[in-house]
Amino acid sequence: MKAKQAMKLMLIIPLAALAAACTTTDPDYCAVNLRSDLDGAMRTVETKLGSGCEYQFDGYFQSLLAIAEANPDKENRRAFSDHLMRVHEMGVISRRQAEGLYNRYFNVKFVSLQGDYNTCSQTCPIRKQVMSDMRAELHDKELGLLRASNDAPSFYRADTLLKETDLVLEATCRACLAGDVR
Amino acid sequence: MNPNPTTGHPARRYGALAALALAVWAFLSAATTQATTSSGPVVRLFPTTVLEDIRETGQVAEDMENNLQQIIHRLDMQQQLYTESLCQGADGDQGCERISKQLGATYLEMLEVMSDRLPEMERAVNSTRSSLEKRLRQELGQRTTPTSLQNTLLGEAGTAAAAQEDRPALRGRSGVRLSDRFKQYYDLVATSQSAPSQSLAVVASDIYLDMEEASLLISATQQEISRAALMEQLNQSFGMITPEMSAVVGGVKEILFGESAIDTPIASPPYAIGDAEFVSPLAM
Repeated sequence: MKAKQAMKLMLIIPLAALAAACTTTDPDYCAVNLRSDLDGAMRTVETKLGSGCEYQFDGYFQSLLAIAEANPDKENRRAFSDHLMRVHEMGVISRRQAEGLYNRYFNVKFVSLQGDYNTCSQTCPIRKQVMSDMRAELHDKELGLLRASNDAPSFYRADTLLKETDLVLEATCRACLAGDVR
Repeated sequence: MNPNPTTGHPARRYGALAALALAVWAFLSAATTQATTSSGPVVRLFPTTVLEDIRETGQVAEDMENNLQQIIHRLDMQQQLYTESLCQGADGDQGCERISKQLGATYLEMLEVMSDRLPEMERAVNSTRSSLEKRLRQELGQRTTPTSLQNTLLGEAGTAAAAQEDRPALRGRSGVRLSDRFKQYYDLVATSQSAPSQSLAVVASDIYLDMEEASLLISATQQEISRAALMEQLNQSFGMITPEMSAVVGGVKEILFGESAIDTPIASPPYAIGDAEFVSPLAM
């Protein structure tokens, strides 16, 4: 009889613990109403991310971008960089994801134009897709660089880089193709 | 004090020599450091052979323009006279017939000059295109990764903005005379040899695509010339101005004088970024 009770307890305790854990990732708990102070909002987000709301990361990130957009400042770039570093250190996202997000929104360079193989073999076969991805990325840079960070020169530089890449890839890929034909 | 350190007291002489050696070493180290930091992957798109091709194509284009300019001007005048005299549809008017025949004769003259000059032009353009094609394939296609291509365009060395301030802005693929365009190309690349090679990738691409287009136009024009000449010889008997004549003259003007201008610059110096830029540890 005692053994039966002990068995029951052994089952109940983990279940109770699991239930308690579930309450911390309750959607209501993870839903936050972020205010206009970007630093404060980032701290709130980090707290939530550290207590079971990791799955909300993308949504939080977009909310933070919206706050930055409403309060444009050159320092916002740095704030996002620091935030992404902290979130990475918390183990919510990988270093690669942190880099990808930062560069997509706040760097002149394009994440969509990356690779370690040569241009003829890596980029030319999918040139149209690469250009389309770069155009989509420019929209994100418009949000990150221009609207959130008030950094028009960097955004226009990215815009120029996109146009130059289009021209250079068109010429280079034609030259690659001509070489293949011969 | 002895002004010449090599002829003074041995101890002082060695001291002076040591100081000199130290200075030379310091200078060389500084130069090496500078070369290392400012070079990055070297992209050689404009070796002397390509430059020579560009210069020669410009020369050939200039010769052709000089030969055609007067004729085309005359054609324009005759066309204007024909239009202003309301000759369109005025069959049987002797004056109009005379203008029309003169126009046809000038048109034939233009075709003859073109037929003489185009092969040389075609050879020069193809030569430039072919040498650039090879360099683009080797330097940007095979020796460059997408990542380094991006760095090349952005100018990782950081001195691009200063070096490019003096460069003439290119007008892309139209809007200026062919020979002037080649002069611009030549000046642009010839005076930039000591500067970082970043935006030369854009210049090379621009010239190459331009040459491809010119080559196709020249080839198409050549194919049309003999047929057009034959047609015009027949038309001379009837004194007609055909739409074909206008089209051919328009095509020639477009190739040589860039008259259907689109003012969008394709290659222009990239933007400069301020010195106090925030660099994230996450940045690529």
